[in-house]
Amino acid sequence: MTEPVRRLAAVMVGLVALTLLVAAGALMVGSAPISPRAVVGALVGRGGDVERLVVLDLRLPRIAAALLAGAALAVAGVGFQALTRNPLADPAILGVSSGAAFGVVVAQLFGVGATVVAALGLTAFAFAGALVAAAVVYLIAANDGRLPVETLLLAGVIVGLFFSAAITVLISVVEFDRLAGVVHWMLGNLRAISPGALAVFAALLALGVWLILGRARQLNLLALGEEAAQQLGVEAERLKRRVFVGACLLTAAVVAFAGPIGFVGLIVPHAVRLLLGPDNRLLAPAALLAGAIFLLLADTLARDAIAPGELSVGVITSVCGAPFFVYLLRARHRGGSLL
Amino acid sequence: MRRLILGLLVLAPAPAAAFAARDMLGHPLTLPAPPQRIVSLVPSATEIIFALGGEDRLVGVTDFCDWPPAARQKRRVGGMLAPSLEAIVALRPDVVVTTDEGNSQATFDQLAGLAIPVFVVRAHHLDDVMALIARLAELTGRAPAAPPLVERLRGRVRRVVEAVRPYPRPRVLYVLWPEPLIVPGREALVTELIELAGGASVTAGLPGAYPRLGLEAVVTYRPDVIVLARHGGDETSTLRATWERLAALPALRRGRVDAVEGALLHRYGPRVVDGLERLARAIHPEARAEARAQVAAGAAR
Repeated sequence: MTEPVRRLAAVMVGLVALTLLVAAGALMVGSAPISPRAVVGALVGRGGDVERLVVLDLRLPRIAAALLAGAALAVAGVGFQALTRNPLADPAILGVSSGAAFGVVVAQLFGVGATVVAALGLTAFAFAGALVAAAVVYLIAANDGRLPVETLLLAGVIVGLFFSAAITVLISVVEFDRLAGVVHWMLGNLRAISPGALAVFAALLALGVWLILGRARQLNLLALGEEAAQQLGVEAERLKRRVFVGACLLTAAVVAFAGPIGFVGLIVPHAVRLLLGPDNRLLAPAALLAGAIFLLLADTLARDAIAPGELSVGVITSVCGAPFFVYLLRARHRGGSLL
Repeated sequence: MRRLILGLLVLAPAPAAAFAARDMLGHPLTLPAPPQRIVSLVPSATEIIFALGGEDRLVGVTDFCDWPPAARQKRRVGGMLAPSLEAIVALRPDVVVTTDEGNSQATFDQLAGLAIPVFVVRAHHLDDVMALIARLAELTGRAPAAPPLVERLRGRVRRVVEAVRPYPRPRVLYVLWPEPLIVPGREALVTELIELAGGASVTAGLPGAYPRLGLEAVVTYRPDVIVLARHGGDETSTLRATWERLAALPALRRGRVDAVEGALLHRYGPRVVDGLERLARAIHPEARAEARAQVAAGAAR
C-alpha cells in the first residue's frame, strides 16, 4: 500500500469507529426513559412494545436520516468549495438550499403527499430549484471565468434571500392550513422516516456522492486553476458540470427530506481540511463521515436539550455554524489561506 | 360628605344611553352608547355573535372567520396576527373584539394609540365559553338570546356526559398539529372536552395550553385512542401516515386513529359542543352503537 492509501484507510477506519460509537450513544438517549439494557434488548427483538417502537421505529430511522443528511451536506460542501475554489462555499451560503426549499414548497402547493413516490417527486422539485439557484449565483458572480469571493458570497446571499422571500409570498397567498407546516420545516428538522423513504433518500445520496467522490483526483487538479487542470488532461467543463449536478442533488435530497439545514457543508469540510490537509481524495470521504457524525451529534442535542419538547436541528447547526463562519472570514482577511 | 357625593352623582348629566360592560379579563369597557359597529379579530367570537343573532352589528372580521358561511360575507381586515389597521379604522368600529391569545401585542398597542376600545376575550374551560356567550350577547345587544343558547348547549353536553358514563376511560392522545408536534396541555379547552367525552388525555398533565412534544415522549404515553386534528377540508394536514407506522401502539393495534375537524375543538364558539359530540364518538364508538340499539329497540316496541 502506498502512503496516501494507508493514510486514507487509517482515517476511514477511525471515523467509522467513531460513527458507530456516536450512533450507539444516540440510540441510548431520548425523552423516553429506556435503559441501555432495554435498548439492546429492543434491538435483538426483546422487550416491551413501546421500547421496541421507540428504539426501532423512532430512534434508529432518525439516526440513519441524520447520518445520511450530514454526510450528504458535507460532501456537497466539499463539492461546492472545490468547484468555486472558494473555502466559504456551502449549499446554504450559496443560496442553493433556499432554491431547493422553494422547489419543495411549490411541490407541496401541488399537493405532493408523504409516500415514497411523493418523496421522489419532492426531490425532483428541490433539485430543479437547487440547479436554478446555483446557476443564477454562478451567472451573477462569474467574471471572466473567475469567481471572486466577495461577489460569490453576495450573489449567494441575494439569491438565498430572493427564494426565501418567494417562499414567504407563497405562504402568505396560499390558504394557511396547507402550508403552515412549512414554517417549521424551513428550520431544518430530522424525523424518523419510513424504511422505504429512507432507502430512496440513501439511493439519491449515493448517486450524488458518487458524482463528487469519483472525481476527487481531478478536483485536486482543478484547485491549480482551470488552465493547469486542462493541461494535465482534465476536461474542466465536464468535471465542473458533474460536480455541480452532484452537489445540487445532495443538497436537494436533504432539503426535500429534512428541510434546509445550514452550515454543515461549511464547518465539516473545514475542520477536516485543518486536520488532514486539502487533498480531495482524503478530504471528501473523511468529510462524508465527519459530516454524518456532526449532524448526528447536533440532532441528538436537538432531541434531548429541551425534552420532552424538541428543537430543530437546523437551529443547532446554525448556532454552531455562524460563529465559525465569522472566524473563517476573519482568518481570510488576516491573509491566512484556507485552501 | 357621602351625601354630597351622592348629590353630585344625581346632578351630573347622565350620558344618554351609556354602555358599560366587562370583558373576559375583567377590564371595564365604557362607551357613550351601545356599540353599533363591532369588528371581531377572533373567529370564535365571530361564531358566537352569529349564533346570538348579533351579526347586524358585526362590520368586520378576520380572514380566518369562516363560520358560519355568512361570516365570509363580512368585510375582512386581514389575519389574526397582523390585521390591517387601516382596514379596521376605515370600518369606524365602536369596539374591536380581540384576544390576548392569538392577536399580537402590536395590534393592541396600535388600537390603544388610536383610542379604539377593545373587548378582550379568551376561554380555557367550557364554563368560560358559556360566560363569553353571555358577555358577547350584552355587547351586541342580544342579551335575551344568551340564556336559551347556553341552556341548549349545556343540555347537549349533559347528554354526552351521560352517554359515556358507563364506560371505562381510554387513554386519549389528541394531536393538534403533527409537525412540530403540538398537543393540548393542562390549560387547553380540548383537554377538558376529552375528559367530558369520557377519555383521559395523556397530555393533560403538561404545563401550558399547547405544549410542543417529541414523538418519542408521546409514544411512551401508550395512547389507546389517537385523535388527529384536521385543518381545512382534507386530511393531508394530519400526516396520518406518521402515526400509522407506530403499529405497536395500543391505538394502532385496535385501529383507533380518528381525525376530527380542528376548528370545532380549538375555537371556543358554540360549535365546541359539536366538537365534544364528535370526540365522544371517536373515544366511545360503543356508546353510540348502544344508543342506536336503544332507539331501535324503542322503535320496535
